[in-house]
Amino acid sequence: MFKAIVSAETLTSALDSVSVLVDECKIHLEEDGLEIRAVDPANVGMVDLSLDAAAFESYEADGGLIGVDLSRLEDIAGMADSGQLIQLELDEETRKLHIQIDGLEYTLALIDPDSIRQEPDIPDLDLPAEVVLEGNDVNRSVTAADMVSDHIALGVDETEEYFYVDAEGDTDDVHLELTQDDLIDLQIGPAHSLFSLDYLKDMNKAIPKDTEVTLDLGEEFPVKIYFGFGEGQGQVTYMLAPRIQSD
Amino acid sequence: MRLDDYIEDLEPDEEAERRRLAKEKSYAITDHLEEFERKFDDALSGDTLVGSTSPSIFVGRSNYPDIPVGLLSPVGDEDAAEEYVTDGDWYRQGYAIDDVLQRRTGLLNSSKRANVDSPSIASRLTPSVHDTWDGFVGVQREVAIADRPVDLEIGLDDKPDLGLDAGTDVATPRGPQANARNADLTENPHVPRPVKKTLEDDDWQAEGAMTYLYRRGFDVYEINSILSAGALGQTKQRRLVPTRWSITAVDDTVGQYLRGRIRNAPSIDEVQVWANEYVGNRYWIVLAPGNWEFELVEMKAPGSIWNPNPEDDLWMASASEGYEGRSSYVEETAGAYYAARLGVLEHLESIGRQAKCLVLREVSDDYWAPVGVWQVRESVRNAFESEYGEAETFHEAVSEVATRLPVSGARLRRKSELAAGLQSNLSAFSNAK
Repeated sequence: MFKAIVSAETLTSALDSVSVLVDECKIHLEEDGLEIRAVDPANVGMVDLSLDAAAFESYEADGGLIGVDLSRLEDIAGMADSGQLIQLELDEETRKLHIQIDGLEYTLALIDPDSIRQEPDIPDLDLPAEVVLEGNDVNRSVTAADMVSDHIALGVDETEEYFYVDAEGDTDDVHLELTQDDLIDLQIGPAHSLFSLDYLKDMNKAIPKDTEVTLDLGEEFPVKIYFGFGEGQGQVTYMLAPRIQSD
Repeated sequence: MRLDDYIEDLEPDEEAERRRLAKEKSYAITDHLEEFERKFDDALSGDTLVGSTSPSIFVGRSNYPDIPVGLLSPVGDEDAAEEYVTDGDWYRQGYAIDDVLQRRTGLLNSSKRANVDSPSIASRLTPSVHDTWDGFVGVQREVAIADRPVDLEIGLDDKPDLGLDAGTDVATPRGPQANARNADLTENPHVPRPVKKTLEDDDWQAEGAMTYLYRRGFDVYEINSILSAGALGQTKQRRLVPTRWSITAVDDTVGQYLRGRIRNAPSIDEVQVWANEYVGNRYWIVLAPGNWEFELVEMKAPGSIWNPNPEDDLWMASASEGYEGRSSYVEETAGAYYAARLGVLEHLESIGRQAKCLVLREVSDDYWAPVGVWQVRESVRNAFESEYGEAETFHEAVSEVATRLPVSGARLRRKSELAAGLQSNLSAFSNAK
């Protein structure tokens, strides 16, 4: 059983943050909210999303599992204006999702969850550095780096105590330093890793500009990026494997 | 073999010898053109080329979609027509640049303009190249799908223009050209059975049909000629395809098929460096363990054909793809990218492994005339026929190879996505604490 009403904005934010990595996903319809975990086919980027029942206008579920084609569902959700409500109801018999937006009815065929790539185990990483900054600073860094290169280095200078972003291109460079004062919080630790902008650009699209974003970093280790959405009732954690410079 | 020993063993003197030969032989081309003119006069009866034979076709792209469609025929050397077809044999026989140019300049391109969708006036009512087997385009299509040279007569509108016209890296430098009025087959062309099958199936997408032919043992050269003639794909989609575009389309399509074949294959288990050198181009291929990732980096010396001013800086270009391939056409390196990738994927598929792969192409000033993208494809394919050097790590291999390149390791890392860092995957960290 699944029946929920949610604002278009909240649903769209949730779907967008997953669709940047995968085309299809499994959605766990838990009693206390939705959960999605997915990894891209190359096993480079991972997303772990939860949307609490409190984020919905109304929410009833009892632990079901559905498989959806994300671009389909995004297209439908896109039909609603951001203030509008979207009503979702699962038909257990036909295995279809009924979606209603202000009188518009859409019946979405679901995908057999067993046919969707297995959900990843989240690596349990102990990352020494933690940077808390505004979504807008992530956006600035990624956008500028993308002008000169296909990859970006993120790190922490332990002696000078700042977080930095470096991008080296064919001819041009981008460098950004954010000190304790520019950041919301900074936990100093040894950190320097290179990441593909292809992935970071996509993840960046899903990060609200006015939200608090936490980056956990290490030396040639994956970055863990997490932030809230939907008035704090939704949480997204991304994990992205680095490009290895040393061996 | 250890990488340093391997590099030590590579013959550096060959290069100097080639340079000397290239300088000498470029004069031979002029003589050759004069000889062609004489042969051509002999073969002409009135305004018709009689007793001609055509081993292949050329579809131009100027003024698309009303493009020049050409029959290529070796004038005065009909018995050896087979040797005029660009394919892997040219590499195997060690053709040098001037050999290629001799073949190309000995091949008359008799062309006529046609619309890619509706080549004849009769077919304009139902625009499709699919049913066109009459007229000039019909003859041209018969030649394209036949597996051996086809005898024909070509009626010409004018005398050929013998100008040696430098083409581009993908298309081939063209030889003499003439405007054709008509062409007639003087024999029944031999068409191989698998080609008939793809031709007759009107609901088979071009990609699938190309892959089918490849699996049936057709090389990309043959497939590209068939595609060019609009003889593959769903009926409504069939149209004439400019040779230059079809070469890349076939390399890309077959490459995607091979990439799919190694998608779940185990990785190679050591870092290998393979090298090859051909017509003033040197190739270094570095393979490393991990999921598929590919990059071509080109370094073109000042004074080489694509960077002609000897005073200019070395010119670099690169393009790369990750595990899932590219979603857009490459902006730099163009057709060479797909040709090099095909060569690497064929090797990996044959050993049932996947790998990360960096191809470095160094174009020296010995590359004084472009011979076509087949040169890239065959050099990479054949690099795997020799021995390789082993290295401990990918970055060690790249640093060592960089000492032999005309650019510094630092400049290479700026230009090359793979030299900057290899993409790892999350499972490598799942047990890390």
